[in-house]
Amino acid sequence: MTGAPPPALRLTGLGVRYPGRSRPALEGIDLAVGRGEFFGVAGRNGAGKSTLALVVAGFIPRVVRARVEGEVDVAGRPTRTATLAELIREVGIVFATPANQLSSSKPTVREELAFGLENLGVPREEMDGRIDRALAELGIADLAERLPAALSGGEQQRVAIASILVMGPGILVLDEPTAQLDPAGTEAVAALLHERADAGITVVVAEHKPAVLGRAFGCLVLDAGRQVALDAPGRALGSAVMGQLGGAVPTLVAVAEALGLDPRLGFDPATLAAAIGQRATGAPGAARTPPAGAAGAPTPPAVPWQPVRDQPPVAIEIEGLVHRYPGGVEAVRGVDLTIEPGETVAIVGRNGSGKTTLAKHLNGLLAPAEGRVRVGGRDLRGTAVAEAARTVGFVFQDPDDQLFNRSVAREVAFGPSNLRLPGADRDRLVARALESVGLTGESATNPYDLDLSARKLVALASVLAMDPAVLVLDEPTTGQDGPGMARVGALVDAFAAAGRTVIAITHDMEFAARHFRRVVAMREGRVILDGAPEAVFAPGNAAALASTGLTLPPAAAVAAELAWSAPVPLDAAGLVARLRD
Amino acid sequence: MLTATGYFRPGSSWLHRRHPTTKLLTAFWLLAAAFLLPPSALLALLAAVWLGAVSCGLLGGLLRSSRVGLYLLVSIVVVNAFFFPGGHDFLLALGPIRLTREGLEAGLVGGGRILVVLEALLLFLFTTLADDLLEALVQRGASARLAFVVLSAVQMVPRLQAKAAAILDAQQARGLAIGGSIGGRLRALVPLVGPLLLGTLIDVRERTFALEARGFGSGLPRTAYRLVADPPADRALRWLLAAAFVGLIVVALTIR
Repeated sequence: MTGAPPPALRLTGLGVRYPGRSRPALEGIDLAVGRGEFFGVAGRNGAGKSTLALVVAGFIPRVVRARVEGEVDVAGRPTRTATLAELIREVGIVFATPANQLSSSKPTVREELAFGLENLGVPREEMDGRIDRALAELGIADLAERLPAALSGGEQQRVAIASILVMGPGILVLDEPTAQLDPAGTEAVAALLHERADAGITVVVAEHKPAVLGRAFGCLVLDAGRQVALDAPGRALGSAVMGQLGGAVPTLVAVAEALGLDPRLGFDPATLAAAIGQRATGAPGAARTPPAGAAGAPTPPAVPWQPVRDQPPVAIEIEGLVHRYPGGVEAVRGVDLTIEPGETVAIVGRNGSGKTTLAKHLNGLLAPAEGRVRVGGRDLRGTAVAEAARTVGFVFQDPDDQLFNRSVAREVAFGPSNLRLPGADRDRLVARALESVGLTGESATNPYDLDLSARKLVALASVLAMDPAVLVLDEPTTGQDGPGMARVGALVDAFAAAGRTVIAITHDMEFAARHFRRVVAMREGRVILDGAPEAVFAPGNAAALASTGLTLPPAAAVAAELAWSAPVPLDAAGLVARLRD
Repeated sequence: MLTATGYFRPGSSWLHRRHPTTKLLTAFWLLAAAFLLPPSALLALLAAVWLGAVSCGLLGGLLRSSRVGLYLLVSIVVVNAFFFPGGHDFLLALGPIRLTREGLEAGLVGGGRILVVLEALLLFLFTTLADDLLEALVQRGASARLAFVVLSAVQMVPRLQAKAAAILDAQQARGLAIGGSIGGRLRALVPLVGPLLLGTLIDVRERTFALEARGFGSGLPRTAYRLVADPPADRALRWLLAAAFVGLIVVALTIR
């Protein structure tokens, strides 16, 4: 008797419990993924996505200690007794940080790919053939002789995926592979994964981004370690499930739902626009107002920012700014910007476009090679960074570059203590900052016991507690889930409402459109677009944005597909309202 | 500026083309010579290393990368010059502290020796790709795992320097003043060193996972993709170096 072939991957009653933890990290997961299927795993931070990736790849319990219940079967065979060396030939895993995936000793991408083959003892005469095939299949043959460390994040992540696939696994598991990538890098990785699935590789990807999850055949949604939905991504991420979890409904899924269209259309602007066009020519359905969670999780309770320090609003004037790094690389090439007191500005652009270099001039971390930067009329040249920090607070992208205290509260108090604020003021600011980021209940927790997204909020709170006149945020939404993004957005709104200036560097166009009154797009060290979100994200600017690795926000992209004239809606509610009209 | 591949500076100079073990043996010979030969030879040894760097167009980079080491050397000279035990020939008195000729000489000799070793080691790292060294050591019977771990540790230095710079930026942006009194500087150490240690541990965890995913811990017999050329000239050079080691020992024994 010949039955149907077993699924490429089957999880049966899978549970994982880490030592010393009261509740399991995963519990009762049942899943079957066929060969060549692209499967998404979604859920809030801490829901168990990374644990699922690690247990499927065999790292739990072989590298990370934990008790595993149930079974992980690969191609119909249980993997419980397999060694990691056996498993990595069948299941490959890719992690979030591109640079950390690479061996860092290899001078070329070709040799980086050879590293895994060497470790598996593949004969040398076979290596070039396998490497060439992997490079060609992943469309990165042009990178073969490049230095891996000098590639962009998106390129590095594609090299990391190639480095795993060259080893020949039939299943590829990825844990938030686009978390640190710009929209162009994210799109490139998502397209690559889709193509590999079409070519027969089984792909399981834990992700937040609709750009990736929307390409999946199916989507498993986790909450507190349990599976709460298993469906097509449009339905699994729709309001019925996300409303229950307090998660984010992707903008276009919300639009499709509101228009009574199949929510599975809600990931690609062109597809949704075509469906909207067809609907317009047929009998119009009654459009509903998108649910509150559309394009972001339900907004957390607003915590107004109540200033403690008497900070007069300050303007920022940047004139003819040029910055050259040692070695002559010109990262900023003549930028003129005036930021009015209390303005909110999102600086966008691909990785390496000069955003962070520009921002580091706002508190004197970098000095201009040419031109000048004045904050509140004062030229920052010669001002100590610690002194400038009294006016300009700067939150860095990586929280682990600053956290060192034993408790969250002590960490948040570090900034105000450096400013030598009176004890009562300091305590009030710490309490308000913790409340703003929703971590009041964690004030006694060691920051390193929190996950990365919460550590980012601690770092943010520690600068917020300095009550600066200007708040600069470098990629504040990286690694945040929907509710985390909503929290950061609410904080930006509240700080701006208190008359303070907020400047954020971001890759998230929806975040920029939703929370900032001005968007500045940079390319190769220059400003290429500058204006209100409605102007910068006008359909006519799509090509200019694409030239710096950016895309229109999803609602604006649909409007562009529908050939609407400016001003176009930037969110789900605006899009649906315009369709109603 | 440190490159993305650690200290290695890509190039095709005569030193770049030498086999890694030839260069490693030369660096060891210079180390031994610096400590076994009379102090008067130190200048010649240093000149030889710098000439080697000039011939590859790397002297500027070498000197820039030596800066941190030079601070250490200056402190060795100063400490010896003023606090050398048993110094009798006083050159200068600053209150109770006296600069002695014996101390100054001891400091200069100690510092000079360390400088020769530092420069030779840096020139070796500048002209040797870590991967070539790893392959060369493995081909000579070293454990591939051990060789990789050692080289990764060496290559961590520039990464740690970049991370330390990022931490310095982040803490200053939170109002940490890094100058001022000695007490203030000491207090600033914890916010700088703490994230460096903790962040490195987090980094190491993800890097370990990535290495395991690439079969690094598979325990299988390893093969090599990269072929490291070992021309006859290098083999001849290594014999010469072996002879030079013997010569060094003979000279050292003779002059004692």
